[in-house]
Amino acid sequence: METFWETFKRHGLSRRDFLRFSTTITGIMGLSPSMIPKVVQALETKPRVPVLWVHGLECTCCSESFIRSATPLASDVLLTMISLEYDDTLSAAAGEAIEKHREEVIKKYWGNYILAVEGNPPLGEEGMYCVVGGKAFLENLKETAKGAKAVIAWGSCASWGCVQAAKPNPTTAVPIHKVITDKPIIKVPGCPPIAEVMTGVIMHLVLFDSVPPLDSQGRPKQFYGNRIHDTCYRRAFFNAGQFVERFDDDGAKKGWCLYKVGCRGPTTYNSCGNIRWYNGLSYPIQAGHGCIGCAEEDFWDSGPFYERLTNIPLPNVEANPDKVGAALAAAAAAGAVVHGVLSKIRNK
Amino acid sequence: METKRFYIFSPGLRLWHWVNFFAILALFITGLYIGNPFFLGPIGYEATYAYDKGITMDLIRKIHFVAGYVFLSGFIFRVIIALFSKRDRLIIPPFWRRDYWIGLKEITLKYSLIMRDKEGNEYIRNAYARSVYPLIYLLFLFMIITGFAMYGMSNPGGLWASLFGWIIPLLGGEFMTHMWHHWIAWIIIIFAILHFYLVVREELIKQNGELTSMFTGYKVFEKEPVDIEDIKE
Ligand code: HEM
Ligand code: HEM
Ligand code: SF4
Ligand code: SF4
Repeated sequence: METFWETFKRHGLSRRDFLRFSTTITGIMGLSPSMIPKVVQALETKPRVPVLWVHGLECTCCSESFIRSATPLASDVLLTMISLEYDDTLSAAAGEAIEKHREEVIKKYWGNYILAVEGNPPLGEEGMYCVVGGKAFLENLKETAKGAKAVIAWGSCASWGCVQAAKPNPTTAVPIHKVITDKPIIKVPGCPPIAEVMTGVIMHLVLFDSVPPLDSQGRPKQFYGNRIHDTCYRRAFFNAGQFVERFDDDGAKKGWCLYKVGCRGPTTYNSCGNIRWYNGLSYPIQAGHGCIGCAEEDFWDSGPFYERLTNIPLPNVEANPDKVGAALAAAAAAGAVVHGVLSKIRNK
Repeated sequence: METKRFYIFSPGLRLWHWVNFFAILALFITGLYIGNPFFLGPIGYEATYAYDKGITMDLIRKIHFVAGYVFLSGFIFRVIIALFSKRDRLIIPPFWRRDYWIGLKEITLKYSLIMRDKEGNEYIRNAYARSVYPLIYLLFLFMIITGFAMYGMSNPGGLWASLFGWIIPLLGGEFMTHMWHHWIAWIIIIFAILHFYLVVREELIKQNGELTSMFTGYKVFEKEPVDIEDIKE
């Protein structure tokens, strides 16, 4: 297969364009400028890597995000960096033809391709809640994973389970690491993940032929190393104690911190605060809405989204922990007084 | 009736108890504000300049963290004194001894007002107290682990994160770690209320110096406590 540099030349692009591109993606991948020569060298010598992109239970928001990547352009990644051999959503072919192609690609590039998984497999009813090409997605996934060099878990579905795995999880949807246990898995959570993070992860895999440095949860450190809260431009308002209390109050107009209206920035690891969305245009908090923690495990079960504290998870108790705590403390104090009086009488 | 004073609590334990008390008080009040900032900080300043004007979230979190370090140091100190002196090991409930189980029965009857407090045996520490304190120490440890995990994760590669960060996935993510930290805070406060009441109750009924024992180190008994061996060096 041809290398990136060769592809560049074939498209009539100059060496200058090529170097500019190399420098940009070095930055995007979170690498220091001293790495630029290595990136250039990799781009000159590394052949394009075959990628199989499969879809399970999902909403396609990851694909939607991906195709909007601006630096680098998703089309550049797709056409010059990887060779996307299978993707039932993006490919022109469909049905039996593409399924057959998948099987052939697995054989042809055995041990050398990257498997990208969007969505997750439901285990209930032997996987029948999600069927692709007449087979349970669960089976497809296991089959395709066997010959993969590395696996990318796109989005919160593949990484954590997301909405379909929220309580009570009727289809027993599970994150892919419950099914694929013998391959390196790179979790790229988010609902969806940021486009530039997606392309950044792919580029790292392709250029360095290695898995990027991961944290203890299996997420790439360069993109998930910080809380939104620790990179948020509204942090000064948090530290100053200037909080929005309602979405139509004065503080909201002044752009104060959204902590009290449920912002999950303090407990969410993602790059929204620095890379932002839509080519760096904005991100939810900048638009005046709190973070809902979409890149975190079980974020659907950590609601209500518009309250700072989640309700006590006991049956029939719909109350926040401070109310329950204060009621119990008051009951303990009252009980103590009553018990004390009775004890005094009993011990006369 | 003749009474006898017994020296029970070491100076180290007494010091720890009160340092810990004030640390928890500070942690709880500041913690409640962190969980739900019920008043706003200084208004009328640009946020960048407001963080050090009056009582701000920044200040309250700083107090929480300083008190957290005090609480941690106290905990380590408490473990060390227990290693070196027998009387500081009263927190281990002696399940293997008959007098513990008899004591458990007696204190149950006394607290249910069936038995009078002056009847039965004397104990330097009743069986409920002996069973509950170790659990409270575990909750202290839980607060330290979750607290320093949340504190440390602003730098995931740092010392605190590598020491305690493992707790976060076990509790189901960082948001749930906050919630657990919050719930257990209330349990500790409810313990403190009942604990304070039971100390006062003992004093009111027996006038045995219970209330002041955590200052003076002494309690007064009419007969020799059956578990006296536990503090004889
Ligand atoms: C945050 C509040 C408090 C906490 C967490 C707390 C915790 C504890 C613990 C863990 C012990 C056992 C010490 C050991 O032997 O290892 C203890 C003993 C004791 N505390 Fe507290 N305490 C609190 C407040 C108070 C207050 C307000 C008083 C009384 C005015 C008090 C009086 C005592 C006494 C008298 C003992 C010895 C009781 C016995 O021997 O059974 N404590 N406390
Ligand atoms: C008995 C001891 C403690 C009590 C009662 C206590 C109480 C609380 C409470 C109620 C919260 C609010 C939780 C939330 O809703 O997010 C909190 C937050 C927190 N506590 Fe503690 N805490 C204790 C010990 C500690 C210790 C030892 C540390 C270690 C430094 C610590 C560090 C923190 C941190 C980092 C937060 C989150 C602050 C933030 O999100 O800005 N706590 N604490
Ligand atoms: S808006 Fe959210 S992320 Fe930003 S400072 Fe406030 S709580 Fe933190
Ligand atoms: S701000 Fe929070 S909820 Fe919004 S996209 Fe980023 S991680 Fe997801």
